[in-house]
Amino acid sequence: MTSNFEAKIQGLQTDALHIRRNVWRALHGAGSGHMGGSSSAADLLAALYFHHLRLRPDEPDWLGRDRFVLSKGHANAALGATLARAGFIDDGVLDQFYAYQSSFGMHPDIKMPGVEMSTGGLGHGLSVGLGMALGARMQGMDFRTCVMLGDGELHEGSNWEGAMAAAHLGLSNLTAILDYNKIQQSGRLGEMLDLEPLAQKWTAFGWVVREIDGHDMGAIVEALDALPLAPDKPSMIIAHTVKGKGVSFAEDSYLWHNNAVTDEVLSRALEQLGDPE
Amino acid sequence: MNDAQHPEWERLAEKQSRLAFGLAVGELARRDDKVVAISADTIDLFGLRGFLEASPDRLIEAGIAEQNAMGIAAGLATTGMRPILCGYAPFITTRSLEQLRNDVAYANQRVVIGAACGGIVLAMAGGTHHAVEDLAIMRNMPNMTVIVPADARQTWHAALQTEQLDGPCYIRLGGKFEEPPVTDIAGDGFRIGRADLMRPGGDVTVIACGCLVAPAIAAADALAGTGIGVRVLNMHTIKPLDRDAVLAAAAETGAIVTAEEHRTSGGLGGAVAELLAQEQPTRMRMIGMPDEFAIVGPTAKVRAHYGLSQQAITDACHALLA
Repeated sequence: MTSNFEAKIQGLQTDALHIRRNVWRALHGAGSGHMGGSSSAADLLAALYFHHLRLRPDEPDWLGRDRFVLSKGHANAALGATLARAGFIDDGVLDQFYAYQSSFGMHPDIKMPGVEMSTGGLGHGLSVGLGMALGARMQGMDFRTCVMLGDGELHEGSNWEGAMAAAHLGLSNLTAILDYNKIQQSGRLGEMLDLEPLAQKWTAFGWVVREIDGHDMGAIVEALDALPLAPDKPSMIIAHTVKGKGVSFAEDSYLWHNNAVTDEVLSRALEQLGDPE
Repeated sequence: MNDAQHPEWERLAEKQSRLAFGLAVGELARRDDKVVAISADTIDLFGLRGFLEASPDRLIEAGIAEQNAMGIAAGLATTGMRPILCGYAPFITTRSLEQLRNDVAYANQRVVIGAACGGIVLAMAGGTHHAVEDLAIMRNMPNMTVIVPADARQTWHAALQTEQLDGPCYIRLGGKFEEPPVTDIAGDGFRIGRADLMRPGGDVTVIACGCLVAPAIAAADALAGTGIGVRVLNMHTIKPLDRDAVLAAAAETGAIVTAEEHRTSGGLGGAVAELLAQEQPTRMRMIGMPDEFAIVGPTAKVRAHYGLSQQAITDACHALLA
């Protein structure tokens, strides 16, 4: 007999599997794309959209909705797959990745239902999310703002301006979630421009930090349920992840940051991921 | 409210557009509880100290961090707030340019950017503090409205009219010295996107913005005494450009001088030339800054050095009429 919690976790794992399979599907349709960072984020996105965030997919502009900003906009394939599964967009949109006049390009477009900000330039999302969190506080609204950051984008100095300001303003309604897969476009962060000691940096900037395994759905849910991690500080969840998670030949390799997806590659990937049913 | 009716108008804002803008921020905030000012360490530059003391929860101090300030403004706007970002023109247009392009213009958020010390107001400070490419940058942002008020009272009206805009807006302002009143005190005729006809005239047209409007009027008045009819348009809105006014001037006077405190590429002169080249090729002269980093010095002397003057406008009119 499974407990309610275990059933919840299993359901979210199924959601994440759908997201990953649809990432591969979208990239195959486009011919290529950012597989690595889309797959590393899939479990986090599943927990956010199907457990944590208060949303109304049939009323995407509902004023009271929680806000999610995908600062690492190159993982848009995963966001699109998530929005489709949540019901914000039609499933068929996933076959329009990179397509002529599509709303579903490489990076999120605010014109797509469910997308809160056009992102893609790195180092933007935290400041924008900070503004959203401020907007909630100034208008006496209780919506929460979550920003998903990539690790490579933390090289951008603007993040640290935002980190400093969010703590100074005491924005406990703001959460950053780091998809820490430790690989950027051209190699390993640790070799190119190391972020460590990262938790100490965020703590020193005035945030409350929790580190989790970003593929352990139970840990993700527990961390999200614990938000805000402090009553007067912004929260940072550092989620340790694996780039390309779920497909052996794509895991933990910078070659799969952005790569071509042929018919053969797709069938091997889907075979490894398995059928959710 | 008319500018002159504001109790603090004469003391605070009559002769400095940056202070008039700050006063308008307070008026906009009084009218609309969604209005919030964002400072990038610019509280006193915009005369916002009183506003901060009266409404501390309506001003966000972002510190000397323009990238973050711009992102915050965009994020606030998505929630229905009406952010007004008060920055230095040379920094807010370049340091935070990607945030401005992506988060504000591309996402088409209702953010008003007040940009103090535009042009070579800070001439003595050197090229790092000059903003003589800002109009070219802003004009190339889709969705953006770009305004260069001619004086403080026009700044007041321009700032208040941003209430009606559905997208972002850039307003270029002056610095810490007096800007002579140029426009009518009533000011009620101001409309974003509609040029002010400052002087009628049928021989040549001077299309000017900002601090070049007063010299253009002076040149026109002097030339009138010699029998030359100079039309003067105050093209306070660089984008959307008042096409009808430009095309009518070209058709009716056949010669156009543009005058701006900006490089001659990409700003007001560029906008006018692009329009006329396609719709009605017309002889032109452009008064502005050359393709080089400007010299250092007192603003008045540096302006004269680059021919941002009544004399240069007069000479350009004569050259076109020769």
